[in-house]
Amino acid sequence: MSGLMILSILLPAAAGIFLLLSLVFHRQQSQAFAGAVLAVSAVLVLATAWLGGGEKSVTLFYLMEDIPIYFRVDEVGKLFATIVTVVWVAAGFYSFLYMKHEGMEQRYFGFYLLVYGILIALDFSGNMVTLYLFYELMTLCTVPLVLHNGSREAIMAALKYLFYSMCGAYMGLFGIFFLYRYCDTLTFAAGGTLNPELVNGNQGLVLAVVFVMLLGFGVKAGMLPFHAWLPTAHPVAPSPASAVLSGIIVKGGVLALIRTVYYLVGPDFLRGTWVQTAWMTIALMTVFLGSLLAYKEPVFKKRLAYSTVSQISYILFGLAVMSPEGVTGALLHTVFHAFIKSALFLTAGVFLFQCGKTRVEELKGIGKQMPVTLWCYTIVSLGLIGIPPFSGFISKWHLAQGALEANVGVFRWLGPAVLLISALLTAGYLLPVTMKGFLPGKDSTAAAEKLEPSRMMLIPLIILAALTVLLGLFPGPLVTYAGKIAASIM
Amino acid sequence: MEFVRNFPFISIILSLFSGPLSSILDRKKAKWWNMIVIGLIGAMSLAVLMYVLGTGEAYVYTMGHFTAPWGNEIRVGVLEAFMAFFFCVVMFLCMLGGIREREAEIEESKQNLYYVMINLLLSSLIALIYTNDLFTAYVFVEINTISACGLIMIKQNGRTIVAATRYMIMSLLGSGMLLLGICFLYGITGQLLMSNIQEQVHRIASEGSYHIPLLVSMGLMSIGLAIKSALYPFHGWLPDAYGYSTVSSAAILSSLVSKGYIFLLVKIFYRVIGFDIVMDSKVINVLFVFGIAGMIMGSIDAIRENNIRRMIAFSSIAQIGYIYMGFGLGTTEGVVASIYHIVSHAATKSLLFVSAAGITDVSGDSTDFFDLTGAGYRNKLAGVAFTAGSLSMIGFPIFSGFISKLLFAQAAVGHTFKMLPTLIALAISTILNTIYFMKTVIRIYTPMRKSRDREKKNTVVRMTDQPLKSAALICFILMNVILGLRSETIVLMIQNGLKMFG
Repeated sequence: MSGLMILSILLPAAAGIFLLLSLVFHRQQSQAFAGAVLAVSAVLVLATAWLGGGEKSVTLFYLMEDIPIYFRVDEVGKLFATIVTVVWVAAGFYSFLYMKHEGMEQRYFGFYLLVYGILIALDFSGNMVTLYLFYELMTLCTVPLVLHNGSREAIMAALKYLFYSMCGAYMGLFGIFFLYRYCDTLTFAAGGTLNPELVNGNQGLVLAVVFVMLLGFGVKAGMLPFHAWLPTAHPVAPSPASAVLSGIIVKGGVLALIRTVYYLVGPDFLRGTWVQTAWMTIALMTVFLGSLLAYKEPVFKKRLAYSTVSQISYILFGLAVMSPEGVTGALLHTVFHAFIKSALFLTAGVFLFQCGKTRVEELKGIGKQMPVTLWCYTIVSLGLIGIPPFSGFISKWHLAQGALEANVGVFRWLGPAVLLISALLTAGYLLPVTMKGFLPGKDSTAAAEKLEPSRMMLIPLIILAALTVLLGLFPGPLVTYAGKIAASIM
Repeated sequence: MEFVRNFPFISIILSLFSGPLSSILDRKKAKWWNMIVIGLIGAMSLAVLMYVLGTGEAYVYTMGHFTAPWGNEIRVGVLEAFMAFFFCVVMFLCMLGGIREREAEIEESKQNLYYVMINLLLSSLIALIYTNDLFTAYVFVEINTISACGLIMIKQNGRTIVAATRYMIMSLLGSGMLLLGICFLYGITGQLLMSNIQEQVHRIASEGSYHIPLLVSMGLMSIGLAIKSALYPFHGWLPDAYGYSTVSSAAILSSLVSKGYIFLLVKIFYRVIGFDIVMDSKVINVLFVFGIAGMIMGSIDAIRENNIRRMIAFSSIAQIGYIYMGFGLGTTEGVVASIYHIVSHAATKSLLFVSAAGITDVSGDSTDFFDLTGAGYRNKLAGVAFTAGSLSMIGFPIFSGFISKLLFAQAAVGHTFKMLPTLIALAISTILNTIYFMKTVIRIYTPMRKSRDREKKNTVVRMTDQPLKSAALICFILMNVILGLRSETIVLMIQNGLKMFG
């Protein structure tokens, strides 16, 4: 079983590097190669995650005496790896056609596969140092995806992304140094490994350190003081890359936070402290501010990026309230947001690819030209806003429940209130596209010719939209699964 | 006696005598002879390393079969052999990477002199590593200083002469203090051989006599070597010396010469005085405080610096600070971390200097920060190499710098008083490092507008244009990655070596 796990990490990474180094491929060959590798490794990843029971772990080698590079498949890792795989395959097949107009496809697919391998490794990391290693590699290897078109704007955005992410990661690393001292082990264990005897008398210090870690890993998740890179970096990437950046890569920050808070420090230690209060405050502020900024943003892809800032903080808020319901909601929202936000960016890509439209007001009457695309957009938008029966409703319900049942003082009602306001703002910034798209009004000049993209691009979109509906209608198994995780780490 | 055992001695003599040979050969031949000598010594050190790893214990080699205290002794363990091998590799790559600059910047008539200096430097470094005699060590410290001065001012302009003079003055001050320290020690122990001194020092310490002379001697030797290796408040000579000399000199000075002195200090701590006694004295606390100050102040100076070469030089001060901080922790783990950092920093800093030369090369030979805009596109390999070096410096995983930071953090935890300052200093200095290295990386990858590119007459260099430098850079990058991923072997070797040291 461990061989399978290593293979599922190594195959896409090695194939990616091979694609980057080999110069002789034709366009079609490199696409076929990338597609085949993607499909095979997706199967491998899913098999590693879900087939066969028992403990699946492997120690690769020792980085230092007691710090191994160690992988283990656990419940959270399975969940994340599955999301990554679904989105990666969908966006990957979308890219085959889309990347035609961006050029440099071989480089793109090379890094695309490489990052896939790294993400799987990140999800299956069994201790903090392994996680940190792949966290940094993820940052480094996604930079080429951001600066793909090579324009000055893209390069500056990518460097900004790199700088913010690295500084954030170092804040995390600083915390890891301390946790190495105060935890029994850096290997993840549900409920935390903090050693109460060592902490005794140093609570203030450990709390401060955890707070620094939250801020540091929060950079990747677009949490408030350090969110500025996200709306710069995500929109400049090619649309399928934006989709995975916004849908998946930011979740790397979420995963690091889950691992830190629930698998190393332990929620019991943080519950009721100033760190929890501060984290909830920051998360709520981000939720609100992100929505507000998205509402005011006229460029479509930037609007979606601000929306990511806001939506990820829903997840962080759920994690911060530290109640089983809250964490369930956070995990559910992680899944739903990944599918929805990728779908939204893929739609933005369709608009860009078919008629070169980037600003929201240009999208008038687009529903007549590409009805299927806009219907998909509408469905996932409703999902993100949280209207039943679409998936977002389920996660937001649990988030609100979590806040209400937790013993968090004023946040019990403030949290759900802010989430509600932000949901209204979400409706405010997503739905006008649908409304103007289908009902352009009388002064519209848009021709009614069909501009629907080819199936290669449409099918991933439809699949993601269908997932939004299906997971909204039949959330049972997923909710049970997330609830189980939440109960195990409390 | 196996023949391998002679190798350390042969290395020193070979290097020492190829100095005069270089001065009479013609220029081209001297250059290649020099490379061959470095390569040979590297190979011999590797053989010695294998031999010592095989036997698992250190051996003593008596020169001319005169036993000490009449004859001179060499003592070889795993750590010594590893260091000698590593220093040779780094020096070889530095020489390889700086050929073009050397030949352009140094007057033709003086080029042979450069190789003489390099030979002397190498022989003194190897002797410092291997010798078991404190006074011999002192002699080679002086040879080292003189040849290092030569390396700085061989590129003759006002700046380098001033830099070399400052270096000379500070270095001689350091040597003077070292000599005084050795004299005190000789006075109270009556011995010059390291192992003999240790016996005597232990006796003195257990009797409790000569407490103050011993302390003074330790202080003098530590501070003397600290000055020579540019520990923070004594670093004034360094930025100019590294910033304006020719590339190979800067790379060799920063990665090897200062490290040689530090290695000697480790030797003095472990073999001459004994680590327990050093621990009990408060000397290491002073080193700890200076080290921490250096980590922060060096980085702050680097941030304020607009000349890329001087920036890298200031970063050296910060890194030397790390090393002394590790000693200051006063534990074996701390020393292991420091020695690993010596290795890691040598690999990284020389990479940075050589790649910076490639970058300035395509920016109209300007070292000014703003002229470097877009240099990463004009010389792709140098850009990548500089980025790799920067990532290693700021402690990006998979590169060597990450491991040294982890080791330092590991060594620091569990300390009652020193843990918090160490970790906080590590964190601050990492962030500061990130600021100035990433600032530079961002600068060299900021695209320059086409029109400005032409008006500035910037050139473009491809990888194949300078095969030697490209090879050196690639080797350096590989070395950093290997050190970053296979660190366990090296850490084990250092630990074993330290055990054999005592």
